[in-house]
Amino acid sequence: MTVIKKWTALLINKPISISSLVVFRIVFGAMMFTSTLRFILKGWVDELYINPTYFFTYYGFEWVKPLSENGMYVLFGLMLISSIFILLGFLYRINIIAFFLIFTYIELIDKTNYLNHYYFVSLISFILIFLPAHRYFSLDSFFGICKKTALVPVWTINILKLQIGLVYFFAGIAKLNYHWLIEAQPLTNWLKHQWDFPFIGELLTQDYVAYLFSWGGALFDLTIFFILINRRLRIYGYILVVLFHVMTSIMFPIGVFPLVMICSTLIFFSAEFHTKIISFFSNKLFLKKLSLNNVLYNPSNSIKTSLKVLFIFFICIQLFLPFRYLLYPGKLFWTEQGYRFSWRVMLIEKAGYTQFYVHEPEKDRKMLIQNCSYLTPQQEKMMSTQPDMILQFAKHLNEIYKDSIIVEGDEIIHLQNPKITADVRVSLFNKGNKIFIDPTVDLSKENRGFKHKDWIINYED
Amino acid sequence: MLKLLTILRKNLLIKSVIVLVIFAFNGCKKGCTDPLALNYDPNAKKEDQSCEYESFNKQGLLDNLANSFILPSVEAYKTNVENLNTASTTFTSSPTTSNLSALRTSWENALLTWQDIAFLDFGPATYIVLKSQTNTYPADTAGIISNINSGSWLLTIASNNDKKGFQALDYLLFMPGKTDQEIVDYFTNTTNASTYLNDVTQDLVVNATYIHNQWNSTYKDDFINNNETNAQGSSVSDVVNALNLHYEYYLRRGKLGLPLGVFNGFSQQPMPELVECYYYGQSLPFAIRAVESLQKFMNGCNYLIPEENNLGLDDYMDFTNAQQGNSLLSEVIDNQFAEIVAALNGLNDPLSNEVVVNNAQGHETYDKLQQLVPLIKVDMTSALGVQITYQDNDGD
Repeated sequence: MTVIKKWTALLINKPISISSLVVFRIVFGAMMFTSTLRFILKGWVDELYINPTYFFTYYGFEWVKPLSENGMYVLFGLMLISSIFILLGFLYRINIIAFFLIFTYIELIDKTNYLNHYYFVSLISFILIFLPAHRYFSLDSFFGICKKTALVPVWTINILKLQIGLVYFFAGIAKLNYHWLIEAQPLTNWLKHQWDFPFIGELLTQDYVAYLFSWGGALFDLTIFFILINRRLRIYGYILVVLFHVMTSIMFPIGVFPLVMICSTLIFFSAEFHTKIISFFSNKLFLKKLSLNNVLYNPSNSIKTSLKVLFIFFICIQLFLPFRYLLYPGKLFWTEQGYRFSWRVMLIEKAGYTQFYVHEPEKDRKMLIQNCSYLTPQQEKMMSTQPDMILQFAKHLNEIYKDSIIVEGDEIIHLQNPKITADVRVSLFNKGNKIFIDPTVDLSKENRGFKHKDWIINYED
Repeated sequence: MLKLLTILRKNLLIKSVIVLVIFAFNGCKKGCTDPLALNYDPNAKKEDQSCEYESFNKQGLLDNLANSFILPSVEAYKTNVENLNTASTTFTSSPTTSNLSALRTSWENALLTWQDIAFLDFGPATYIVLKSQTNTYPADTAGIISNINSGSWLLTIASNNDKKGFQALDYLLFMPGKTDQEIVDYFTNTTNASTYLNDVTQDLVVNATYIHNQWNSTYKDDFINNNETNAQGSSVSDVVNALNLHYEYYLRRGKLGLPLGVFNGFSQQPMPELVECYYYGQSLPFAIRAVESLQKFMNGCNYLIPEENNLGLDDYMDFTNAQQGNSLLSEVIDNQFAEIVAALNGLNDPLSNEVVVNNAQGHETYDKLQQLVPLIKVDMTSALGVQITYQDNDGD
């Protein structure tokens, strides 16, 4: 018992300087502001949420729909404002809740846009709702909206470290598969095109380098959390983090993700380090320099039971999700059943081609569907390799054509119960395209949901 | 990380040292004589086929595509379009049946050459929307006549794209229901029509000259040097996306699928009026030329001397060891091209008639065209690390 008590004290209740949390809040606010602004300036609001006529919702979240053009821009505007206010620590609680809700809502509109780092941002902003990150060096504390606090219980920082640790660790576990370790795929394929990479391009195209990167990457992901929590190794760990992410950001089009990870992992540095950062700025800002000893925080009963339960639940879900694929038969990379929300980053090279048909069963004839009439190029591309999206689109076609009247020349066709089929060809790891789903199955009769999709053709190596 | 990399570099050094030592001991004069190869041996006098290319020379690929295919084809196109324009002015200044027939020949030559560059839809061609300006069909024949009757037209506006270009000429030079003499008479008596004819051919010259000048000034180097990645906006990505779009949409669909009725709802009724060169009555030579050009281009052939085969997309696919079934992807694609050409050769012109009377064989041919789509859209693009997307986005 005493051991448990000791660890609880050390990992949960121990008082620690709030500075780590404050710096994290500021960095998070700044990152979210710039990445939201970047998103808007690249015209992606229009491209991803206004131009498409159809959206691939998540199962159970069909009620999440994009707003009108103005509405979407208002949402993005609100995200900009809330991220600035998070940075400044102004009405923090309201703003972090608003940010979490808006960001997550937007991500839920269309699974085409699913990215692991968006999921990460949702999780972090959810955690931040419950953390007193605004209690120092913030407008809230400056104006007296909330009490100033110099010390916080250590769990408020550890929960963030744990979240980041989970991301890396599961990304590492996901790499422990035949293709990654034995074939060094997909890196072998990708690195072949990196000949012109500055300085080391020629090296990158060597086969053994793909193995080195694959194994090194897996090792990095599996161990980096433990390196970062070790006081002596931390600085080397951080240098690794920076090198790793800078490298990947130059080689692959992965947007702001590397920056997000490089900034987030700063949380692993000591409280003294963060205090130094704050005092460096507080000399220059209008805020009065406060000695941390001025204000006291009583860490007894540092976390409410309800919150404790919530976080345990939150972590358990995250421990389960990456393994849920084991509940499905077949090859994960092929069927992608249980693929998302599992930190599977840059794991597969997959491309596909889909041709849908609407059948008129009465007359045994069919009409070709041109995907581009219904989907954006990005939606079409993402759908072509993911069975759940193929099914969704088939059902969407069924909705459009069910009980419809089509005039062709002199002929009037009354489509009562159209059959929807698809010819799909997919190539995994650049091994040649193979037939992906059963071309005879009427997809309009299949149900969405978490049940195994038995109309996916088995992958044969 | 850095340490690791230096060790690797040293490894490479160690490797080459070992290789050098072995060569020195053997005192061998045979070896790899290609300076581009990894195991290039400066002392080797005789090539012994041992060259290893662990890295693909992307710049070499782009250089070859630009210098041995694109530049000469653009040059040929410009020359042929200029000849067309000259033939047009000759005909309008002295309208005779023999000048009409000379004009038709130069029109056909120019349109054949157009097939050689139509798929190069990136850079300058995209900038001026060359494809739509040059060869939109079906032509709006009523619009052409109304332009001529009105006596004023502005060919540069987009709404006139289907009232100009090769297909407008197809209509004007092969007016339906008119004998050659009647066509000559029409142009003799209709000054506006003659002016229109000259303006349309002149418009082709202006655009061809623009493309030609761009490729011969700055764009060629931009194209060759934009080789650092295969990401969106790189030359490899531009080329692959352009030829995919062209093949799938303009060739497979436009030249055969649409007239055949493949895309015409449930009834799949043929739409003969949608063939290229409907009034000329010869569509297949242009379709075949389009397929063959694409094949030559992908294989890195020299435009003027097709037997000269250098670095092409096929070599790039081979470098990544892309397979389809038990064969090399590049071979499968090459064979598919051959099958397509053979199938197209099996059809008869006028295609507008063939799609009606020989619809089944048309569909068989279309299937051959269709089979190439996943090969180039799925397999080739992933082999080359190119993403088919016309949208900018992040990945993870």
